[in-house]
Amino acid sequence: MKFCAVKQYFDDENNNNITSGASTTMIPLPNVESHPLAILITYCKKHLKIKANNADNKKETEKEMEQYEQELLKKVMPQELTELILAANYLNFKEALDFFCRAVASAIQNKSIEFVRKFFGLESDFELGEEEKLREEFAWSFEGVDED
Amino acid sequence: MEVCIDFLNWLDPDISVQILMYLEDPSDLVHASSVSRSWRDFVIANGLFKHLCLRMFPQLSRVARVMELNKCGAKEPVEVGSSYSMEWESLARDHRVYATLAQVCTSFIVEDCISEAISASSTDHYPDESIHNTLLPAYTWRASYWSSKGQSNPAVPETLIYKLKSEFCVITEINICPGQELLSSLHIYSSNSVRFRMGHTKGPNDLGSRHLGDSLPCNADDTFIWTYTSPEFPMAQEGCLQNFRLPEPVLCIGGILQIELLGRVQRNEIDGLFYICVSYVQVVGRTLSPTFCVEILEPSGTFVLKNDMQGKFYTPPSLPKNEAHEISDDQLQRGFRYWQHFVNRLEGNENAVEFIEEYESGEEEDEAEVEYTL
Repeated sequence: MKFCAVKQYFDDENNNNITSGASTTMIPLPNVESHPLAILITYCKKHLKIKANNADNKKETEKEMEQYEQELLKKVMPQELTELILAANYLNFKEALDFFCRAVASAIQNKSIEFVRKFFGLESDFELGEEEKLREEFAWSFEGVDED
Repeated sequence: MEVCIDFLNWLDPDISVQILMYLEDPSDLVHASSVSRSWRDFVIANGLFKHLCLRMFPQLSRVARVMELNKCGAKEPVEVGSSYSMEWESLARDHRVYATLAQVCTSFIVEDCISEAISASSTDHYPDESIHNTLLPAYTWRASYWSSKGQSNPAVPETLIYKLKSEFCVITEINICPGQELLSSLHIYSSNSVRFRMGHTKGPNDLGSRHLGDSLPCNADDTFIWTYTSPEFPMAQEGCLQNFRLPEPVLCIGGILQIELLGRVQRNEIDGLFYICVSYVQVVGRTLSPTFCVEILEPSGTFVLKNDMQGKFYTPPSLPKNEAHEISDDQLQRGFRYWQHFVNRLEGNENAVEFIEEYESGEEEDEAEVEYTL
């Protein structure tokens, strides 16, 4: 089971309630909203399906998974990425967590500071001249950046 | 609706670190630390540039501390003696130094980094076939190569040791051309495989102008400390420049590089012994001086990384791959010294050039062996 937090819950439940039907137990997930949870469940199901299809061929699994991940990223809004990361972290779903962290990093690669601020809805809180000083000190890093 | 999703506020620090550590380009990390004060402080407090450099060059794990030299307008910490501000200042210094290091390691000019040859484990017909012959490409006026002494056991290895242009270089690949007999048998005296080590001298030796003759008086392992050993690369028995690209670029701390030639393949038809010959060596990479220098702390073997803030910061665009094969100023200088060496021998003036200090006079018959490359 990929959702380690849920698995843990099942293990605990089984230790306490051997006789009662586990299928009717409600599992509380207070920190996960329905939308990211839905995406994570789909991701998990897809991952398991691809793995089953390519049981012996690890490379094929990785390739198919990558293709699926690219498609998924196109449908996910940047703002949702943080919620997805929070959900994956709470559920202790390592593969999804790694994937969404990488996705956030890729989204801000080779982009200008203004783009990164806009992406996360942030404002600069530097004092006057502080940002200019930073740009001067690290002038080399501001060449060849993608135009937004 | 603009949603503020500053993940630094929402996520565990561990996950935020994980996200930012996926940024491999140092420029991206600079941008991240320029977004806002909290992002900048986060990058500094978690030493993300140091982590980035350590991932690129595990050799940096031996850094004891960093220093900034010639820093103009250096300001004192706000509360002198406060341990918090001292610690912050140290983190901020790490941030600046490692950011600069990450940048220069990927942008400084790529060139042949050999400064001079130090010694060979054995040499046949010294000084005619000395290691100094490997400093010039094979198209010079005579077929020149270094030759080991002959051995009946093909498993006996040989080593060649070179000093690099700076004690702090990033090395990406090494090119070696095995020596070939051009007039008669056309035998190629390559080795079975090669391996490379990098390191520094033990103690404050200055190997600058001292050459150890045709064989090391003592074990190389007593003179040098090796901090990196490459995998073994197979060598082809071909008389051409062969490329050995390191799996990852390597920081050579100490400026000493050793080539290990493992396994002999070619027997000489006259004496029946196995030899190894090398006609040309290039060590390709970037020298990071004078922007960076190191001080090695004995006996721990750790070192102090120093960033000279006023060091040359010239960053030309990356050169095309064949740049490494053009003759640099250094090679012209080495070529000139080689010519000077030969001219001095013809005139019997053995004291003029220091690197022939072991020359024995009276070997005039060598002149008769002057050959021209075909």
